[in-house]
Amino acid sequence: MRYHLVTHFGLISFVVFLVFPLVWMVSTSLKSTAELYSGTVTLLPKGLTLEHYRTALHDGLLLRSLWNSLVVGLAATLGTILIALPSAYALARYRSLINKVVLGWILTTQVFPAILVMIPLYLVLRSLHLTDSLSGLALVYIVWNLPFVLWMLFGYIRTIPQELEEAALIDGASRHQMIYRILLPVLLPAVAASAVFAFISVWNEFFFALVLIKTPVLGTLPVELARYTGMEGMARTGPLAAASFIATLPSLLLFAIMRKWFTGGLLSGSVKS
Amino acid sequence: MRSTYRNLFLIILYSLLFLAAGVAVSLRLFSANSRRLARHEHLQFLCLAWQEEALVTYKALVAEWNRLHPEMAVDYIQGTWGSVHDYLITGFETGDVPDIIHYESSAVIDFAVRGYLEDLASLISADLRSDIQPVAWASVQRSNGAISGVPILLESLIILYNKELFARAGIMVPTMEAPWSWEEMAEAAKKLTVDRDGDGITDQWGAGMGLRNCANMILNLTIGFGGSFFRSESGHYVVRVEEEETRLLHLLMKMMYADSSMTTAGLGQSGPAMIPGFSAGRYAMVVNIGAWARQQLVANAPPGLAWGVLPPLKAASQQIGTSSQTLSIPRLSSRKSEAMAFIEFLSSRDNMARIAASDWMVPARASCLGMPHFQSREDGWEMAAESANYLTTGPWIGAPGYIEWKSRVANPILQELFANRMTVDEAARRIEIESNLVLERYQTRDERW
Repeated sequence: MRYHLVTHFGLISFVVFLVFPLVWMVSTSLKSTAELYSGTVTLLPKGLTLEHYRTALHDGLLLRSLWNSLVVGLAATLGTILIALPSAYALARYRSLINKVVLGWILTTQVFPAILVMIPLYLVLRSLHLTDSLSGLALVYIVWNLPFVLWMLFGYIRTIPQELEEAALIDGASRHQMIYRILLPVLLPAVAASAVFAFISVWNEFFFALVLIKTPVLGTLPVELARYTGMEGMARTGPLAAASFIATLPSLLLFAIMRKWFTGGLLSGSVKS
Repeated sequence: MRSTYRNLFLIILYSLLFLAAGVAVSLRLFSANSRRLARHEHLQFLCLAWQEEALVTYKALVAEWNRLHPEMAVDYIQGTWGSVHDYLITGFETGDVPDIIHYESSAVIDFAVRGYLEDLASLISADLRSDIQPVAWASVQRSNGAISGVPILLESLIILYNKELFARAGIMVPTMEAPWSWEEMAEAAKKLTVDRDGDGITDQWGAGMGLRNCANMILNLTIGFGGSFFRSESGHYVVRVEEEETRLLHLLMKMMYADSSMTTAGLGQSGPAMIPGFSAGRYAMVVNIGAWARQQLVANAPPGLAWGVLPPLKAASQQIGTSSQTLSIPRLSSRKSEAMAFIEFLSSRDNMARIAASDWMVPARASCLGMPHFQSREDGWEMAAESANYLTTGPWIGAPGYIEWKSRVANPILQELFANRMTVDEAARRIEIESNLVLERYQTRDERW
């Protein structure tokens, strides 16, 4: 009983720790400007107002940047998974010297900070006429996320017993059937996790978007949100909180949709039902 | 079996290569549309305005210019103070830069030394050259006469005070003719510090001062004490921390830890972040805050809050170091004369006054200061404009390595000092030693202002 109490207390504390910033953001977005600057800190707004949402939606390019982020995020996630999945399978199943070199290289790429590669990357993209375009940005995100996603999928595929595939082949399944009917359902949680990782990482990315995109209407959300901040760390707090909450919604929604895949797909399809 | 795997691997590898090539070709075709959007047929103006009024003014001025000069239309590009440095450095290195850059003098100097900016000396009109205050030119002009930007706004530090709390404590407000010394301000702060309910916890502090990343502010204020931190010795910059440099540090430490008349809440906050506490009556004064922060007070203070601006404090003098907001043209811009025409438009007497009024800063043109708006007693404008008479530039302007010095040496050490983790003498010793290590590294490159 005492163990349960401690566990529950720990879990509730952890949930509060995770949820509090979100609650605070929503609360701030609903407080009037006068209340925000009153110097009194309260969790719940004294009077609800939607003025900051109106400002955020009408002033600037928030919705446009939301759309841009969504397009780039989905394209980059899809591209990353499409390339990473077969590569990870090949690396996990077909052992050779090349695999070791490739895996070593994947790890090596993780040590370069974005600022280090920015200028050469910009020059390469410009020679391909891919700067100041969402497709160029999506391509950069695919390349940037690929090593980590590939590594995630590689680790997961290695944990799947090869006997599962062999059993399917012995049962008369063709290789395609084995991949699509046996392997893919088992891989779904890993694919979902990797996709969410790739999407969130693109959704929050600031530096590449800042430097590569010049035309205001092509800007992504993090760049648009930064425009509410000013000198000496000051910000237009209310509109920033409202815009940030709007920006958080799609990723929350994505988590809600993908959540069941994380657990639902685990080992499903691996045995006859 | 092994050869089958190898073949399969090769097939996958080649497929991926083809896929990558296909993606690249498709994206290139796709980007044609984006490229059409992105092709800069217009002049690009990177603007860092962020306060609502200033945003409206800058955008209105751009629209006005575009109406008057459709052949030299300008695109307004919104930048942010927090990311503009990285944005510009990448732009300068890759050649993709806006034609007109709004930024600040200390950064512009660094860019000029690196050869990124056009020398505007020959492009500036006689009217602009003669009307802009000498202190503003000093912040952007190199020793060889090259001008790296047109200063449009001057940053001045002011002191906000709560009229009601002053009256309640029976404190007479100093005037421009008879300003307070720093010691008098500290005495007043003691009188204004109140524990209303006698629980041993201060309810009202005499003074609040934003001390996060305060190196620049400390340098600017030290000038009034006759200090400068930076000296030129045998043609090289060195940092010396002597008595003049430490007097202000001693005074602030005394206010925070001996008198307990200045809140330590400012340690982790910028000056403008003290405004909510000031509005709530927790601080009777906010000492040395940027003049632009008055806008935050006007827009957000509770109704009925009576506040004012005190004249600059006097030490050896009332002088305060300043920097300016500037408009520059990159050397790589292909449309320099058109960009300069736009800068002249923004810097005209009326337009500069509009910008200064909306950004709540002091205009760089001397003729603007006499305008009724800047002479009005309302919202502390008169005092802010008067303070401009005491602005000067410090010897660190243009010192190679100054930006790194500020962030890697001065800010962290001052932060430790004000958190009472070391004495002023220890801080002085560390600043001297660590500063000169940074400066030496830069000066071996022979980069001269």
